[in-house]
Amino acid sequence: MSDTDTGQPGQPVPSPYPYEAAPPFPTSIGTQPAGMPQHACMGLNGCQGSDRFGLEGNPITGKTNDCAGQGYCSTAVDHTCHVQNSCKGQGGCGLYGTGEEMNRPGANACRALGSCATPINAERFSTNGPNRGKSVWCRAREVFEKDVWPTLRADLAKKQAAGEIPASQPLPASLGSVPALFENTGPSYLWISDDNQDRGNMTACGSSGLSGAGGCS
Amino acid sequence: MAKPHAKSGSNPISVLTPAEILRVEWLELTSNREQVLSWLKQDLQTAVEIELATIPIYLYTYYSLVRNNTSGENLDAVQQFVNKAGGMIMSVAVEEMLHMSLSANIYFALCGTAPQIYKKSPGPYPTGLPYHSPEGPPGPEAGSHRSSPVSIPLARFSYEQLWHFLQIEYPEAVDAWPEDRNWNTIGQFYSNIRCLISTQFVTDADFQNGAKASQIQSYNYSPNNVDTVYPSAPFNAWIPAPPANASWAPANGLSGARSAVYPDAPDSHAGPVELLSVDSKNAALEAIDTISDQGEGYARPWQGEEPTDDPSKREDSHYYKFLSLQAQLVQYPQHREKLAAAPVPPGQIPPVFGPDALSGLVVDFPNSPRTAYYPVELQPLSDFCNGLFQYMLIMTETVYRVPPAGQKLFFNVGLHRSMIWVLDKYLRNMREMQIRSGLYQGRYFAPTFECVDLGPPETSFSALATLGETAVAAANNIIDNLPGDDPWVSPLGNLIYYIGVATTKTVDGHSMHLPDVGPYWKQG
Repeated sequence: MSDTDTGQPGQPVPSPYPYEAAPPFPTSIGTQPAGMPQHACMGLNGCQGSDRFGLEGNPITGKTNDCAGQGYCSTAVDHTCHVQNSCKGQGGCGLYGTGEEMNRPGANACRALGSCATPINAERFSTNGPNRGKSVWCRAREVFEKDVWPTLRADLAKKQAAGEIPASQPLPASLGSVPALFENTGPSYLWISDDNQDRGNMTACGSSGLSGAGGCS
Repeated sequence: MAKPHAKSGSNPISVLTPAEILRVEWLELTSNREQVLSWLKQDLQTAVEIELATIPIYLYTYYSLVRNNTSGENLDAVQQFVNKAGGMIMSVAVEEMLHMSLSANIYFALCGTAPQIYKKSPGPYPTGLPYHSPEGPPGPEAGSHRSSPVSIPLARFSYEQLWHFLQIEYPEAVDAWPEDRNWNTIGQFYSNIRCLISTQFVTDADFQNGAKASQIQSYNYSPNNVDTVYPSAPFNAWIPAPPANASWAPANGLSGARSAVYPDAPDSHAGPVELLSVDSKNAALEAIDTISDQGEGYARPWQGEEPTDDPSKREDSHYYKFLSLQAQLVQYPQHREKLAAAPVPPGQIPPVFGPDALSGLVVDFPNSPRTAYYPVELQPLSDFCNGLFQYMLIMTETVYRVPPAGQKLFFNVGLHRSMIWVLDKYLRNMREMQIRSGLYQGRYFAPTFECVDLGPPETSFSALATLGETAVAAANNIIDNLPGDDPWVSPLGNLIYYIGVATTKTVDGHSMHLPDVGPYWKQG
């Protein structure tokens, strides 16, 4: 850790910056594949090319993600708070909401039934329910892998059979790996904020300072 | 024979005290069924009003606290205390909302209609609670007279305001007589309700006049959120929450997740869940127990005189939470108030802070402000804030009219959105504005929680929208007459935005503003 510049939000920051090899956090959402569901965070995507970089691809590799589960961050319209999600599967969870909601982050049924900011930063923990005190992103990935993806995959397979989505769209039984630097954590706020330089890239709710992504004073 | 108020076996309901047994016998000898039911309905309406009266008091003090000026590894001792105070106060406010909901559910079960909540909040402050004759800490205005009635103000965080909090939550004496008029403690008031329900005149069928499914459901309540929690110590804000583990993060560092303290415990309730719906005497008594225990604890000698209110003993009662905060203030050893014998008051808790240390983290709100005393140009913004609060009360009444299948969505887009995403943000921006003239000059813009009239519920959303339009026009007018770098410009712009969130916001053609309750009231 650096011992300089203390006193400001997020200071001191880890040194050296551990995400030099990662593409910068995309502040806007790229073009999304037609007909594919939006989602709340990294590794919760349902198809190739569905992530924050979209069909334009990762700016470092020039490639899109290969398949479900490999995406970089949320494609949901960014929102900072409980019940402010626009659609199914877009709630972040952890800060406000019930224990039941917090146990199914990123798997809300519809608009305004989601809970909390997207993307789900790695530092965020659930404040209620069985996942209390634990990583929201890890729980979201677990729920996506075990519950959401099998159902979503079946739905997408039907759409594929009906010609509603391209036949080339891979629908693997097992999810692809999360981008390596974030494999066990999900997107860290250090990466989202570009090494603490752009804290406005994401703001979560709350005034306790424990959201891990800023908040109200 | 079970000891009074002991939790006996698997029955979660407190056993009647000797005083309550006498009260029930007296009621059965001197009253009839109609009188007892009428009395019970009246007391439940009063219970809703008591709980409602406390919410602005706690919220006002909460919003005077700046919890997050520094955070993470930069968290110093005074910021840590203020953050903790905020978490504690919000944890109590959340439970007061629960108590109002529980009282309302019992009322609905008994009467088949929701209690009156809209325009039933006190106004203006300072105020006494309905029929309250405080016995506890009298507060500084009352000198050393134990029983002097004291009005409770809207006031910023201070040692004195915590005295008022203690007055609200003062524990009931073991042998206290149940009272619903001139009650000394809220416990006595609920004890009287417990006695009325326990008479032979009241049956399970009496609590089946309002459908259980139409009551406020447990899935709308959660004991903690990011505002009730607070850090126990400085922490490294970059460490992922467990079990996640970044390769670069220190293995032994304290993450925010591991530093978090949860002041409310999930087992702090009688019955199966915190927010019970009611269809029997048993369920009604469980709801009453939850209210009484959370406020005062069940610190009875035969229960170990503990300050907690839950079986796992992880949640302090409201009374003890506030007493513990007081014990970290420098004035605590000199207190003149008479504290209850049980739970045993704590000694002074280090580290200790005085007013000077706290001053930078406590916003200088006026005491019990009124809209009429704010500068004229700001009054429409205060009116909107009051209208929003009253609309939240209308939405609470409306929950009982919403078809059960739609309650979750209505509660989310109505109550949760208005509290977390509108009122919270609105108040945080108001407090950025230092008043420049008039009675409150030099203080900061704060809510007044007055009972503004939105007309009948059928047209109340339209009335709120009109207040919003007036407030937006007022804010724009102020902005137009200020230089662009004036410190009021940014918060005024934000207030305009949040008025829009409340009344007009849409995304892709979908409503993202508060719901119009009108259709639910026009159904007849």
